[in-house]
Amino acid sequence: MRTTRLFRCVLAALICGTLSHSAARADGETIAAFTKNQVDPHFEGVRAGVAQMAEKMRATVKYYTPTKPNNITEGMSQLEDVGVTKPKLMLFMPIDAKAQVPTVKRLIESGLPIINYNDRGGDAPYLSFIGQDDYKLGYDIAKTLFDHLGGKGNVVILEGVKGSTTGDERKRGFDAAVKDYPNIKVLASQPANFQRLLGMQTMENLIQQFSSIDGVISAADASALGAIEALNAAGRKNVAVVSINGVPEAVEAVKAGSLLAIAEFDGFKIGCVATAVGLNAIRGQSVPKQVIIPGAIITKANYAPWLVPYKDRTCPPADAYKGG
Amino acid sequence: MTISVASSTQPAHLSAETTALLGRLILILLIAGALTVVDPGFASVSNLLNMLRQASLLFLIASGLTLVIIGGGLDLSVGANLTLSACLAAAAIKTTGNPWYGVVVAIVTGTLIGSVNGLMINRLQLPPFLATFGMLWVAQGVAYWFMAGQTIYGMPTSFRYFGTGFLLGVPLPIWIMLAVCLACSILLHRTTFGREAYFMGANQSAAFLSGVPVERRRLLLYMLSGLTSGIAALVYLARLNAAEPGIGEPLLLPAIAAVLVGGTSLFGGSGNIVGTVLGAVLLTIIVNGLNLLNVAATWHPFVNGAVVLIAILADLVISQRRSGST
Repeated sequence: MRTTRLFRCVLAALICGTLSHSAARADGETIAAFTKNQVDPHFEGVRAGVAQMAEKMRATVKYYTPTKPNNITEGMSQLEDVGVTKPKLMLFMPIDAKAQVPTVKRLIESGLPIINYNDRGGDAPYLSFIGQDDYKLGYDIAKTLFDHLGGKGNVVILEGVKGSTTGDERKRGFDAAVKDYPNIKVLASQPANFQRLLGMQTMENLIQQFSSIDGVISAADASALGAIEALNAAGRKNVAVVSINGVPEAVEAVKAGSLLAIAEFDGFKIGCVATAVGLNAIRGQSVPKQVIIPGAIITKANYAPWLVPYKDRTCPPADAYKGG
Repeated sequence: MTISVASSTQPAHLSAETTALLGRLILILLIAGALTVVDPGFASVSNLLNMLRQASLLFLIASGLTLVIIGGGLDLSVGANLTLSACLAAAAIKTTGNPWYGVVVAIVTGTLIGSVNGLMINRLQLPPFLATFGMLWVAQGVAYWFMAGQTIYGMPTSFRYFGTGFLLGVPLPIWIMLAVCLACSILLHRTTFGREAYFMGANQSAAFLSGVPVERRRLLLYMLSGLTSGIAALVYLARLNAAEPGIGEPLLLPAIAAVLVGGTSLFGGSGNIVGTVLGAVLLTIIVNGLNLLNVAATWHPFVNGAVVLIAILADLVISQRRSGST
């Protein structure tokens, strides 16, 4: 009797030990997280989201970011470095999808599981894509502006980087919305490369060219904020400006009324979800082939949640991790 | 002895520069005339002020670079210097609420970086290209570390006057550009220091053997380059109302282009600051004109490059004819 009890205790201890051992083996993975630059607060949001979810799921993260913003050469070198260091999981956003896909494919063939996040990364066999619909963001924010203008008026477009998936898809969305509003006239569509200085200088030139501008659609917060500076300096304070992203500075501008609205492209949420989906995948769970996170329209009526600093935000609930 | 060598070369030198300046001016007037015909709005006072204001930022970075290049050096750190100076100045202003702390921080940071460049070249005998290329990364790296991916924004209205204010109906950045241009012109053409800078750029060994304190002069040239980057940082910060860790990087190559298009030789010993103003204005006019004409952005780099090449080729032809005729 005593022998049987002792045997049961030993067996229970063995089972507990084995279970705790396997639990320990299920975490502690190293993640290689790629972002495109250290200058855009959006990517700071991505890194904050990755960090929070990785800590929550007990994984460690190594970040790969070009020292020169969006530099493809550095981006390629960093991909090759990952091939040598061999992390357990890679979160990848392309700087130039076409140039980087062959290397990414080689990494996947070598057994490295890769999640594509933030920007579409071409036709490589990724575990999943986590991001937002840039076309829809572009369409929705342009529509918000056109509705605000009562369906008529003169607008200018500040595009992103020509040839980039993000910039081109957003522009496609703007153009689709313009087609739905026949009384909206697009005076000019110029690239501002998601940059503040270029946004300001392009706007300064457009102000010289057009005496009547009712609205500005910007592909990113930075160029919108530059454009607002140009409009204020020229005394054109009644021009409605909209943009895409939702970095804290731009949300402050919405609060102050200088920016009409922003289509939310939330790096923090993308970082959270991509990390969770990736870790779940390498821990043996089935994961969706893509998760498209919906983007809210941030206006003066609802801006408050986006004013919270990235480090103080909380990753979204489990609903956000389901495929769509 | 030093002065006599330098001044004996000066008349011919100035004459060549005058020809080059006239060439630039004619090119600018031709482009401006053509743009005015196509779009009369181009020649409006507000558009001309707009272009000069845009050119002022480029000029401020290029002005110090011009001095260094005339003296036979090179400063690749001007853009990164602007970045770090602007970031630190923005932080100082936000922390203290006093714009003057920002002014002091930008000026000190810019000049300090210039001094380190000069010292590295003097004491460690590093080639200017390598020393300032290294400094580019160091300054950029410190800016990345300091900003940690964030943007510092929302400068006080009193400080923003530097970038957005007007004096006698002219934007303040244009006045700052003119003041820096005047100061550099006096320095280059009316002082012993300026003559020695040309001499050093033309023949450093001869300058040294003639008694020019080459190392001290070089240090001062790099300090001045840093100083103008610090001033540019203040104008940038005041205009854009924000500092980001990547702001100066796209400005390096256009600044070098403005210096070269302005007629300053990359090999040192010739050029002048008015040429750099014209170079900055020319590069700005091209972008402004292409925008006014609604030329697709795809063609902007091509046209920019073509005009830069035409300006440099014109210089080459003129100098060859001059040497042929003498």
